[in-house]
Amino acid sequence: MSTELDNIELRPARRRFLKGAAALATTLVAPGVMLYKTGQAANDNGKSIRWGLVIDSNAMSESDVDACVSACQREHGWKTTANSATDAQWVRKVSLRDAESGHQRFLPMMCQHCDNPPCVDVCPTGASFKRADGIVLVNRHTCIGCRYCMMACPYKARSFIHEVLRDQLPVAPRGKGTVESCTLCVHRIDRDGADAVPACAEAVNRGDRKAILFGNLNDPQSEISQRLRQLGALKLRADMGLNPGIRYQGL
Amino acid sequence: MPSPQRYVEIKTSTPIYWSLIVVLAAIALIGIAAAHHMDTEGHHITGMSNQIVWGLPHVFAIFLIVAASGALNLASMASVFSRQEYKPLARFSAILSIALLVGGLAILLLDLGRPDRLIVAMTNYNFKSIFAWNIILYTGFIVIVGAYLWLMMERRMHRWSKPAGLLAFIWRLVLTTGTGSIFGFLIAREAYDSALLAPMFIVMSFAFGLAVFVLLLLLSFKLDRRELGISQLQRLRKLLGLFTAAVLYFVIIFHLTKLYGTQNHDFEHFILLEGGIYTQLFWIVQIGLGSLLPMALVYAPALQTSSKSLVLASLLVILGAFAQLYIIIVGGQAFPLNIFPGYIVESSFFDGVINDYTPSLWEFLLGCGGVTSAVLITLLAIRVLPIMPDGLPEQVQ
Amino acid sequence: MRLRLSSLPLFLVLGVLLSAALSICGVNAADQSASSFGQIVIPAPAKPVDASHCVEPVEVMRRDHMKFLKHQRDTTVLQGERDSKYSLVGCMNCHNPTTANEEVIRYENPKHFCSSCHSYASVKIDCFECHADRGLVSSQQSNLTLNSDSRQLTAQTFNQKLDPSRVD
Repeated sequence: MSTELDNIELRPARRRFLKGAAALATTLVAPGVMLYKTGQAANDNGKSIRWGLVIDSNAMSESDVDACVSACQREHGWKTTANSATDAQWVRKVSLRDAESGHQRFLPMMCQHCDNPPCVDVCPTGASFKRADGIVLVNRHTCIGCRYCMMACPYKARSFIHEVLRDQLPVAPRGKGTVESCTLCVHRIDRDGADAVPACAEAVNRGDRKAILFGNLNDPQSEISQRLRQLGALKLRADMGLNPGIRYQGL
Repeated sequence: MPSPQRYVEIKTSTPIYWSLIVVLAAIALIGIAAAHHMDTEGHHITGMSNQIVWGLPHVFAIFLIVAASGALNLASMASVFSRQEYKPLARFSAILSIALLVGGLAILLLDLGRPDRLIVAMTNYNFKSIFAWNIILYTGFIVIVGAYLWLMMERRMHRWSKPAGLLAFIWRLVLTTGTGSIFGFLIAREAYDSALLAPMFIVMSFAFGLAVFVLLLLLSFKLDRRELGISQLQRLRKLLGLFTAAVLYFVIIFHLTKLYGTQNHDFEHFILLEGGIYTQLFWIVQIGLGSLLPMALVYAPALQTSSKSLVLASLLVILGAFAQLYIIIVGGQAFPLNIFPGYIVESSFFDGVINDYTPSLWEFLLGCGGVTSAVLITLLAIRVLPIMPDGLPEQVQ
Repeated sequence: MRLRLSSLPLFLVLGVLLSAALSICGVNAADQSASSFGQIVIPAPAKPVDASHCVEPVEVMRRDHMKFLKHQRDTTVLQGERDSKYSLVGCMNCHNPTTANEEVIRYENPKHFCSSCHSYASVKIDCFECHADRGLVSSQQSNLTLNSDSRQLTAQTFNQKLDPSRVD
């Protein structure tokens, strides 16, 4: 589906082959079927879109990270209960301490919206999928609750819903027996496009000081691409070659 | 020239047989009820969590699925490798493998978050997913082994049983490769991420499947008072010893490979030395009771003619199998993911800590239900179909 | 391959097993329809709060609402199109199943707008395992805090944010 997406980074050759084969099969088997607009991937200039975040850990205090988490809870209606082991956590506060110096910092940790997401690879029904604009989602209409994606995710980004839910918010339908994770506030992105601000970013950004910067990683002119070019940022577990769309500064 | 082997339905109608059937059926029903309860309440009533996403049901299910493919071994030896001495047991081997697979799949299905969406799983395939391959491999296995069984039982079609046996043999190797690869392909977790898991699961299937086969064979023969010659027992005994040793070999190689790479030292330290329940299960149950003791029972010169020692050895192999799968499945998830190498990590989502898991009664009942369904199907099938040889007395040379 | 008469007890056991399994599976269905055995309950779906219009004529909606919803669900989840006039949230906001005394009518209740027909026609849907089975009541719309009951999550102003065309 995302064959038109091409990242600046080199992918493993095998994946290119698979994508080529898929593209070939698509051309042969289903012309027209695949031509629908997916995730509004192509903007007016015809450039491809890949949404991502840059998180500046130096600009975030512990309370900023807490604000991210509660903003996400308000936005999507998940919350912590007494059963912490089975609670869903779309975004969580992670404390990192250097064993030698004792230096401590806090980060928000969520779905990394990988370019090569293992959760999508392992999902038997294709419920776990990557939109053409790079957002990794769970289609709850076809999720059977096998939790294989949770086994495969290197970032522990996903949660399984362990109990019956009621009165879900319209922007975040969620229910017992399916898996969920950060959606990058996809409902805001579908409404506002490049001007969208995910709830976590909205909670911590003040004026020009953007601790969490949202934008199009594929557009060299976007603020996020420029910041990445000037200041650089880390991809978590870059060794796995998954090319996450969430980048961390200050690690 | 010995007369052709006759196959007869078991005829026993003793209270023991029927009470066994009733007990097995009752446990299977309780298992279904437990699954229904899990489905209505949600998985919060189980011990599973967002940390340990696969628990005891998966240990039971993977045991049954692995044992299913191994139970077909005896039939393969007769059909594929032309070992005539195993021929009388080929039908039983086939029906047992189908029954075990059905039991295992039932557990996997009923543990899903949305078991009502079976139809979605059967109609939406992501062909890059090993799980999706396995859905095809499992259903294909039942169809192929079912056809193979029919070809063996229908005299006019007998000549086709050999190619069908070959197909079933290849299919079961692919199937167990798929089961092992469910874990082997998970690059994210240190406990898995190894190509060795696929061949290791195949060897495990040889041992687990044979142990279950021996127990149910001896049980059925005893229930119907049929004669089982000592040399038949001896062959099974030697095979069990060999397969148990082969599993042990793979376990040693698996851990040596992990130990050689420094990045896996923490994980090996956890499983082998300081993992609490997992370390105890590994050394005491898997290695001691599940590998070394059965080998001693099988190979001890004084016990060569004792069928009791073979039964005990098979039970111990199964006990070790459960311990091994528990360590692989649950232990592998208990060890935390290393997302931030070099940092001490803490969070509200159990980053950087060893995860707790206490199985609940519901999961245990569901698992037991799957096991008893498999046994129940077997005991009923040999009653309605001519599967069991009417006796395997010692051949006079 | 033949079956023998002496297997009769076996079939008895199988029969007991089967009926027990069926009864377990049927528990939910029996709960809902127990009272309506012997008499046919004609569905009488509650009128919407604002009865002036629907997105399509009633006859079309009766026959095709599931097609509209299924198509919309796929375009929204897979392609991110959220401006369709067909949406389950739209249905629930209008056909908001709350009675005069503010009693909450859940989907399990045969008086619920959707279940009144679905239980009559024996249609099983799973929409409301993930979607709210009622619209947001006015008292909730400005309420940004989470309710004390962990499973009762109240809402923010969805309508104004994502669907400015709808005036409540």
